[in-house]
Amino acid sequence: MATLRSLMEDGPIAINLGLVEFAKALRDQKKPAIHVDWSPPPPADQEMQDILDELL
Amino acid sequence: MSTRGVATRKNRYFDSVFLMAVARRLSEQRGVETAAAVMGSPANKKILIDMGFSGQALDLAGPNDLVVALEGDENAIRAVTENLEEWLARPKSELAGGMAISLDDALSRQASSNLAVISVPGQYAAREAHAALDHGMNVFLFSDHVAVEDEVALKRKAVDSGLIVMGPDCGTALIGGTGVGFANVVRRGPIGVVAASGTGLQEFSCLVHRSDSGISYGLGTGSRDLSDAVGGLSTLTAIDALEKDPETAVIGILSKPPGESTLRTITERLNRCSKPAVACFLGLVADSLDGDARFEVCATLDDAVAAALRLAGTDASEIPASPADQSAILAKGEAERMAAGQMYVRGLFAGGTFCYQTQQVMRRSEIIVHSNAPLDGMRFLGDPQTSIGNTLIDMGSDEFTVGTPHPMIDASQRAKRIAAEADDPQVAVLLLDFILGYNASADPAGDLANAISNAKQVASEAGRHLSVVASVCGTDGDPQDLAQQEQTLRDAGAIVFASNVRASSFVRDIVLQRAEVTG
Repeated sequence: MATLRSLMEDGPIAINLGLVEFAKALRDQKKPAIHVDWSPPPPADQEMQDILDELL
Repeated sequence: MSTRGVATRKNRYFDSVFLMAVARRLSEQRGVETAAAVMGSPANKKILIDMGFSGQALDLAGPNDLVVALEGDENAIRAVTENLEEWLARPKSELAGGMAISLDDALSRQASSNLAVISVPGQYAAREAHAALDHGMNVFLFSDHVAVEDEVALKRKAVDSGLIVMGPDCGTALIGGTGVGFANVVRRGPIGVVAASGTGLQEFSCLVHRSDSGISYGLGTGSRDLSDAVGGLSTLTAIDALEKDPETAVIGILSKPPGESTLRTITERLNRCSKPAVACFLGLVADSLDGDARFEVCATLDDAVAAALRLAGTDASEIPASPADQSAILAKGEAERMAAGQMYVRGLFAGGTFCYQTQQVMRRSEIIVHSNAPLDGMRFLGDPQTSIGNTLIDMGSDEFTVGTPHPMIDASQRAKRIAAEADDPQVAVLLLDFILGYNASADPAGDLANAISNAKQVASEAGRHLSVVASVCGTDGDPQDLAQQEQTLRDAGAIVFASNVRASSFVRDIVLQRAEVTG
């Protein structure tokens, strides 16, 4: 479990979702960054997820 | 005879930067005249329809579907569409070092993760950010178009867990010498910054670096954090952290003017801060603070840098490499070379903060400008594609970036606009910003050098002298090489300044001179 303080003390240990360039730039600075091959949830899942969000 | 074709792939997501590169490579193919590669959002489909594309495939494409639209020789188009998968393969080098299939998968590989960097489309961003917070990670949220109620919920959750949400719409952070997002290579030092604006943080940190000092931490908050709807939740978290941080001697706050009650909250917090603080609320009317502030309040980023350096007690050199002392003389010389009727500035900005700050410089001299992002007292530019009188345009705003990458990455829209402005005989001066650093274009000056020299030549052939004024936000450590970037701009005929305020002041002098001459 990280905190803002531990981020500042340890430097970024990153997980990147979206533009792969952001992960590459962190690696260029010798910082760990794992890129997630992200894709949007399928529309049906999205609707179901919205309903679940409402209910919960 | 050219033909048009549209190919789609259901549920195949690619980010806009990657798709821009695909479209660029496709358009370089022999026989291909026009190529577009976009996700099938309603806005992107409208752009393609406006370009003349049509058909069932395009009609049926949804926001999760890839759309590739091509115009050109029939054989060339068929060759591309039959081998589309090859065009969509990412270079293997991009993925070196591992790629996870989900957040959970990434956490199983790197359990000590302390930061989620999120730049997925806005409608999905809040859910991913919640998941990251639930796993005990801080969040750097680059995505925009996140609902304000989602922003508040995320930030409250972060506060409860001792975490921070930087964003949404957060462009830049500096974490102990490491740049996240669009950031420059800046040395570490005694000045900590909390910034609602990415380009504001970039300019501030670069000017600190160029003055031989450095930044301890630059924490982004997102552009809405100091609105009354959000109440400065991330700003307050960041101030607390910087106050406790032993490396930080001075705290700087950079933002547009806060909401009324949030301004009171931030003022009260800074007044009881144990460290000296500097605030730059760009565009704030001076008496809004009613003399309550027991910290320095600065009108511009340059003033804020100077105040922070002084409070840090650093033996900092002055920001170098601008002909500032000769600025007025140089401006007069430029103005005297112009033809009758050349009166106006056209500012074409990649950085929204620069567009805003230039308006502030102009407002102080009572120069009225039109803008798609007007400061109080300035005029709203109804059609951002058509300049009127003095016009300053934030080309990173939504109306220019739907379906295309930000101008810090892709200069093509600015290049076209430079050409259009150069044809206008009323234009005296073009003002441009160039932003270096990680994730920006590999050669921002080179991208526009031809556009600048062509613009000057077109004006010259029409008997006019067109001034082109540039500011470069960068450092000597940036991947693009600051000195080389500045030289490229000078070689193209631009007058180069080390900060947006200095460039804007120079342009203001030209505009005032021309107004005097032309009555």
